[in-house]
Amino acid sequence: MSNPILRISDLSFGPEKSPVLDQINLSLEAGHFMGIIGPNGAGKSTLLSAIAGLIQPSSGKVELFGKPLNQFSRRKLLKKVGFLNQMHEHDPHLPLRVRDIVAMGTTGYAAPLWKRSNNSDEIMWALEQVEMTDLAERDFRHLSGGQRQRVRLARALVRQPGLLLLDEPSAALDSKRQDKLYALLRQLCSDRGMTIIMVEHDIAAITAYVDSVACLNRRIHYHAMQGEQIPDDIWHAMYGDHIHIVAHDAGCIGCAHPTEEEQ
Amino acid sequence: MEMLNQFFASPVMQESLPPALLISVVTASMSVMVLAHRLSFLTVGVSHASLAGLGLAVTLSLPLLPTATVTALLITLLLANIPKKQGITDDAGIGMLFAGSMALGVVLISTASRYEVDLFGLLFGNILTISSSEMQWLLLVGALILGSMVLLARGWWSIAFDPTTAAAAGLPVPTMRMLLYGVIGLTVVMCVKLAGIVLTTGLLVLPAACAWFWGRSLAGLWSLSVIFSLTGTLIGLMVSYHRDWPSGATVVMALCCIFIISWGGAWLRQRVQKHKEQE
Repeated sequence: MSNPILRISDLSFGPEKSPVLDQINLSLEAGHFMGIIGPNGAGKSTLLSAIAGLIQPSSGKVELFGKPLNQFSRRKLLKKVGFLNQMHEHDPHLPLRVRDIVAMGTTGYAAPLWKRSNNSDEIMWALEQVEMTDLAERDFRHLSGGQRQRVRLARALVRQPGLLLLDEPSAALDSKRQDKLYALLRQLCSDRGMTIIMVEHDIAAITAYVDSVACLNRRIHYHAMQGEQIPDDIWHAMYGDHIHIVAHDAGCIGCAHPTEEEQ
Repeated sequence: MEMLNQFFASPVMQESLPPALLISVVTASMSVMVLAHRLSFLTVGVSHASLAGLGLAVTLSLPLLPTATVTALLITLLLANIPKKQGITDDAGIGMLFAGSMALGVVLISTASRYEVDLFGLLFGNILTISSSEMQWLLLVGALILGSMVLLARGWWSIAFDPTTAAAAGLPVPTMRMLLYGVIGLTVVMCVKLAGIVLTTGLLVLPAACAWFWGRSLAGLWSLSVIFSLTGTLIGLMVSYHRDWPSGATVVMALCCIFIISWGGAWLRQRVQKHKEQE
């Protein structure tokens, strides 16, 4: 247990006077499922981008699987990372079948054309996870928003990553699909030892599934473990006086009475 | 039938068919990436900018194609490095370089003696005047372009689909983009020989555009695009031979016709599918 999958130490990003991320420290072990919540502009997506090697932190470092993430190690380390960015950043204009899109997530996809890899088993496995096997041959552009999101999730899963980074994976999913998604992620952590970091807005929806919730607004204000209460002043520090906009109920990690949390 | 025999037997066509078909295969392959990455305006910019290269070659009496190749490559790389962060977008940058280098080309060519430059050929292409050293150059550049497609096509494809995820998967996205720009620059120069500056974009956009209605994967789009391009080139050259029309323009017109037919076909297919669903 001494080898964390992810270790972030003193990570900052952005201008020194008003950093987007400020002195982030975080360490996650294999099989841990963490949710990140925080207001708009809190740096949630930026944090995921730093972990995925998409941006260079101004200071501090990211270690993946025990090795520092840098320009040279990037390519190798990222083979074990699955990444799902926010849905609106993406506009499908290429004519592609669903299975071809999932294939883009396999580790050898960008290899030269003469290296034909047969990975249809992995692709079908990933599509099975998101219940999209019957649409494998369909044109991605003709799918609904929710179906597209599930295909994108399958693309992140297909390489069976050790670390999975998800930015609002439940966007465009209805509440039934959301629950199915969280249950699937929980199962991947428990059965396959996958480590997952998931940015979500609705703490009440994720709380039954995750192991911990990090409250992020430039810095990690609080990292609550399952069954732990998030103090009121943390909510205020994060959301200001608009705390009532956060959905939370008796079942949620941060708000439940410890006695009720026992299940 | 006799018309076909006559066409294939004519010495002019025997000489110009191989380079024309080579160019058509190479441009069709790259056209898939041009459409996927939405770079049609880049091809317009670079093809017009290659006039500066041709102008330089004429003024300094350097070999035409190599000089044009190097200039186009330099201009494409310059375009790839436009200061986007300072708010100069791709299309603005291409617009500026396009105008600037074309102006330079016009000035340079105007100072050269009239007999040296076949300006009409430069602008609209003339595959019929290809020399053996130019053919060697075409073969070399063509092999380079097809080689890089074989090597990098899938990487470029996944970047076109979703650059952020491609970068998160470990692909060196900025480097690969730069290479793509460079290879498209090379393709443009190759294409200028057949279609000329004005019509190059046609050869680099139309084949894939025809295929876009039918293909459902990289391999499918690529092969369809090559088939459409070869068909268009052959039909275009035949018509140009019989009617004595300019070769480049006729090829591009043939490709436009194929596009319209392809579009119509796709529309019909959609109607039939809808009809079947309703039954």
